Amino acid sequence: MTATTYQPGEIRGLIEIDASKCKGCDACQKFCPTNAIEGASGAVHSINEEKCLSCGQCLINCPFSAIKETHSALETVIQKLADKNTTVVGIIAPAVRVAIGEEFGLGTGELVTDKLYGAMNHAGFKIFDCNFAADLTIMEEGSEFIHRVRSLVKGETNAGPLPQFTSCCPGWVRFAETKYPSLLPYLSTAKSPQQMSGTVAKTYGAKIYDMQPEKIFTVSVMPCTSKKLEASRPEFNSAWKYHQQQGSNAAPYQDVDAVLTTREMAQLLKLLDIDLATIAPYKGDSLFSQYTGAGTIFGTTGGVMEAALRTAYKVLTEEELPKLEFEPVRGLEGIKTASVTLTDKSLNKELTVNVAVIHDMSRNIEPILQEVLAGTSPYHFIEVMNCAGGCVNGGGQPIDGSGTSWVANI
Amino acid sequence: MTKKNYEFAEDSFFLSRRRFMAVGAAFIAVMAIPVGWISSRIAKRNDYIKARSAGLYQDDAIAKIRVSHANPAVQQYYKDFGGEPLGHLSHDLLHTHFVDRTKLQS
Ligand code: SF4
Ligand code: SF4
Ligand code: SF4
Repeated sequence: MTATTYQPGEIRGLIEIDASKCKGCDACQKFCPTNAIEGASGAVHSINEEKCLSCGQCLINCPFSAIKETHSALETVIQKLADKNTTVVGIIAPAVRVAIGEEFGLGTGELVTDKLYGAMNHAGFKIFDCNFAADLTIMEEGSEFIHRVRSLVKGETNAGPLPQFTSCCPGWVRFAETKYPSLLPYLSTAKSPQQMSGTVAKTYGAKIYDMQPEKIFTVSVMPCTSKKLEASRPEFNSAWKYHQQQGSNAAPYQDVDAVLTTREMAQLLKLLDIDLATIAPYKGDSLFSQYTGAGTIFGTTGGVMEAALRTAYKVLTEEELPKLEFEPVRGLEGIKTASVTLTDKSLNKELTVNVAVIHDMSRNIEPILQEVLAGTSPYHFIEVMNCAGGCVNGGGQPIDGSGTSWVANI
Repeated sequence: MTKKNYEFAEDSFFLSRRRFMAVGAAFIAVMAIPVGWISSRIAKRNDYIKARSAGLYQDDAIAKIRVSHANPAVQQYYKDFGGEPLGHLSHDLLHTHFVDRTKLQS
């Protein structure tokens, strides 16, 4: 028996340094949130997989392209697309639509939702927008937050503690699970949008698609390498458990069968000769492509908080927010904070809600966590994203080639 | 004549001390990334972060519906199937638990 930070079945060692390419330049260490990268300057570096969050920040920032992923579902997905007995559902994360165009010669940050739908439809995917599940996440996580706040106000102790942390970033979740397990009760129990998508696609979705759940193959397209690890967590087979309770005796399956990064989806489209830049736009094939502005901003730092506040305000005050843009949580400052005072109609009480937003996690989170541990945190709701800027800069996004230009000049 | 050729061949095979130093310095320069590389990398990174974030805020701004609770598909999900937020089915399908990874063994 040896200590490990992985549950059975989880993908370990997803991110690896290629010893033949590593120059020992230390750049990756500057981007690693957990000091998981070992090796002296000038010597070949390696990743301590027990500490690694699989976030891929080292991978997208290595100037020598020496870091790679050890798992890719690309071939499996192409096989499933060719199999006429399988319904392949493509779950599209928010941040993918503003980055994948870069792989097809479009401008940085260009919004290509309809073209991405068109290209994926052409490849044979059913379109399931993860933004729909982001809206679902807000309903669940927002309700949970309101429940915790009202319990506090009423002096009840049956709800989870405050502050409530967001739980949609698997890098942050694994960080808390490995380093601060005493803080786990503070995390929202809501699944991430990826995991909600997979579960809904194989339960309610099975009805919508009129398909047996075991013939639905869910492929999420993510800006994030850590989402591969998340999908492999053994507890994420709720659809299978649900159908078992309904009398099915199918062999176990995961809620999300495969995860492709933004880069891998671009590769898949290129392999299938589909040019995203010129493809006809497509609007989707079911209610699962309906999403709101609140769902889409999940992909940038502060977005989950802004989306949650829009809904929490409505639930508490029974009125819509007069101005939806919530500037204090936007932008690239490391720690963003804000206070909102509102009236809880049902309790007939004025409340002040203090929120904090953290991204570039390792540089900004420690003081916030120390306050929570000491019981002095002034906040009620805290959003945490591992990557600087949020998922738009995730480890699965197109790599900005300009970072390596100096190598050629030596 | 013969002697000179020999010297030439040896020269190309064994680096002179001066050339050895020069090549070695270049090699070290490759290993240590230039001063300022990290900060210029971060500046470029912040440029594309801002561009991509602007794309998402644009998606929000042009959306017909901008609040999650008004998404008709979400409302239909709860009505046809899911019940209500934090309800029984939500607990089974949309919520999870976390794992204290300091206590795991293999
Ligand atoms: S950034 Fe790349 S080359 Fe430099 S030490 Fe890390 S893995 Fe090696
Ligand atoms: S994937 Fe993330 S946590 Fe793992 S070594 Fe790279 S930067 Fe560090
Ligand atoms: S911030 Fe987004 S991309 Fe980065 S690890 Fe978290 S979920 Fe993945």
